[in-house]
Amino acid sequence: MVKVGIPRALLYYQYYPMWKTFFGELGAEVVVSPPTTQATLAVGSSRVVADTCLPVKVFCGHVLALVENCDYIFIPALRSVKSKIYNCSKFLGLPDMTRAVIPECPPILDMDIDINKGKRRLYQAIYKLGRPFSWNPFKVRRAALAAWQAHREYKELMINECLTPPQAIARISGAEMPSPNPNQPAIALVGHPYLLYDEMINHRLIHRLEQAGYRTLTPEMLTAEQLETAITRLTGKPYWTYEEEVVGSGGHYLESGVEGAIGVIAFGCGPDSLMMDMVQRQAIRLKTTPFMSLTLEEHSAEAGVVTRLEAFLDMIQRKKRRGAEVCV
Amino acid sequence: MRIGVPHMGNLYIPLKALLERLELDFVIPPANNRRTLSLGVRYSPEGMCIPFKLTLGNLIEAAELGADTLLMPAGSGICRLGYYAKTQEQVLHSLGYDAEIVSVGVSQRKLLGLLEAIKRLSNNASWSKIISAFRFGLAKLNVLDTIERAVQKVRPVERVKGTANKLFAQAVSATEQADDYKSLKRVQTDYLEQLSLAERDESAEPLVVGIIGEFYVLLEPFSNMDVEKELGRLGVEVRRSIFTSGWTKFSLFLNPLGVNEKDRLHKAAMPYLKRDIGGEGWESVGEKVLHAKDYDGLVHLAPFTCMPEIVAQNIMPSTKENIPVLTILCDEQLGKPGMLTRLEAFVDLLKHRRRAKVKV
Repeated sequence: MVKVGIPRALLYYQYYPMWKTFFGELGAEVVVSPPTTQATLAVGSSRVVADTCLPVKVFCGHVLALVENCDYIFIPALRSVKSKIYNCSKFLGLPDMTRAVIPECPPILDMDIDINKGKRRLYQAIYKLGRPFSWNPFKVRRAALAAWQAHREYKELMINECLTPPQAIARISGAEMPSPNPNQPAIALVGHPYLLYDEMINHRLIHRLEQAGYRTLTPEMLTAEQLETAITRLTGKPYWTYEEEVVGSGGHYLESGVEGAIGVIAFGCGPDSLMMDMVQRQAIRLKTTPFMSLTLEEHSAEAGVVTRLEAFLDMIQRKKRRGAEVCV
Repeated sequence: MRIGVPHMGNLYIPLKALLERLELDFVIPPANNRRTLSLGVRYSPEGMCIPFKLTLGNLIEAAELGADTLLMPAGSGICRLGYYAKTQEQVLHSLGYDAEIVSVGVSQRKLLGLLEAIKRLSNNASWSKIISAFRFGLAKLNVLDTIERAVQKVRPVERVKGTANKLFAQAVSATEQADDYKSLKRVQTDYLEQLSLAERDESAEPLVVGIIGEFYVLLEPFSNMDVEKELGRLGVEVRRSIFTSGWTKFSLFLNPLGVNEKDRLHKAAMPYLKRDIGGEGWESVGEKVLHAKDYDGLVHLAPFTCMPEIVAQNIMPSTKENIPVLTILCDEQLGKPGMLTRLEAFVDLLKHRRRAKVKV
């Protein structure tokens, strides 16, 4: 059986069920790299130039973990999924960059996803992607439709049941997942999924919040309309593909009555430096919800993150007791 | 309404000519200096690139001089540029300036978009007036770039160091003052002649170094610590393919007609980078591949945290075509002595390489 490797990084959290279904329907076995460890990050960052951002370094580490045991590695170049809204350069050049920095990599299945070039081009790209597995265009089409269906169900599951992507993926593959208790006070996490759900790079942020007695709300739990209204309110027309995760969810949660919101960004992230700034400015303007922005990088020590988190939660507690004005 | 514009190299000269001819009220903020940079750094989000910081500094300084309509280039160029205006406007408002940023979309509607923006700003001046002002601005831009190309050739071989730089500074101010085509033409011929008469070291065979990388840091000497002048001082001839006049010619006039000067670069980059990644990333890789044979080395300039250039920087070492590349990341932390040391070491390396080649 042909093995297709999918690195557990970057777009994995958004599209895994879709990709798994697609390759599964075409008769391939999908191999996912193991969760990030310190070693993943270390081998990944040894390959790329120092200025590369943390998530991309982690990504390279995951690709290296798959090199030995896969026939192909799937790395799409996701350029645009909505008309006139583009993605960060690092996503656009991801297959080419991986090929350059990891020469021992098995053949990379890359595909251009650019909605601006029209549906025909997209269908051609999908067919080309399925080509190594099947010559039959109808089979590829069937696989693509099934993948699309899986993706829709995955998104609905997260919105309806308030699950995070890792929880939803576990639920889809049959594991029992306790639904979160809606009566607990909530803290919103704002940021890209590859930062929020990678427990190694964010030092188990969600777990720590749970231990402190909070449930977490994340961008994936919001509907497209909620995200869109928030973006329109804050910046007008969206510009980046992932503006929803940051500006959209940030804008929404700041006015949704959560106890606090934490913006998580990676050091050196181009789009985030601007988008999180928008959210921060909105938080200052509103003065209703406490907001903390947490910058992650490969040197950030666990103790530092923990201290800031504790201070933030203490502040929320104090605010509750005294009804004082919000600090941002 | 008073218009303010940010700086990029000598671009303010053609802009000034354009706005003067349209009889608009405008201010040109002071040339980039330490204060501009520190203002920009203080009010920019952490992690922004130097073009954002410097242009923000310019806009603040323009607002201090009473400008209330600020022009900023924008466009969906995939890099952060398209988002600049949104954030810069919020910064200006939070500082208490009631200024409006007009983003001039240069990448989508090309020439027409630019002319329409000018028309809006000029209170519906007649088209003939706009076009004649625009032509005059372009003429100044062309003169400046023609002289600069000549300066790049003279710098490494002049006997009296600094002659070319002095002449260039004079030429820039003469171009600024020229107010009709005739005097502009005279400036060009005068200075080209003076440059050709400058005493040279005929026996010198200067090293040839290409300057590649991100548009703004290439064209704004303040942001790259005068890297071209310094290389010239070290006796290196600098070649640069990005000039504002060339960019205007292609992106405003020829690209819409289907002529693309970058096709050559893209084709060269194809084996290593198959797609446009925004900014100048694709072109950087292409230039490396293309010029590996005819240049001695390349200096790759990029702003710190520039997304497209980081991808390019990752890909460049793996190309088959081999040529030394020195990447310099520009931001407010870049110190001149550090940069000079690196340039000197790089030039030494190129000299050794050439000597070794000759022997073989």
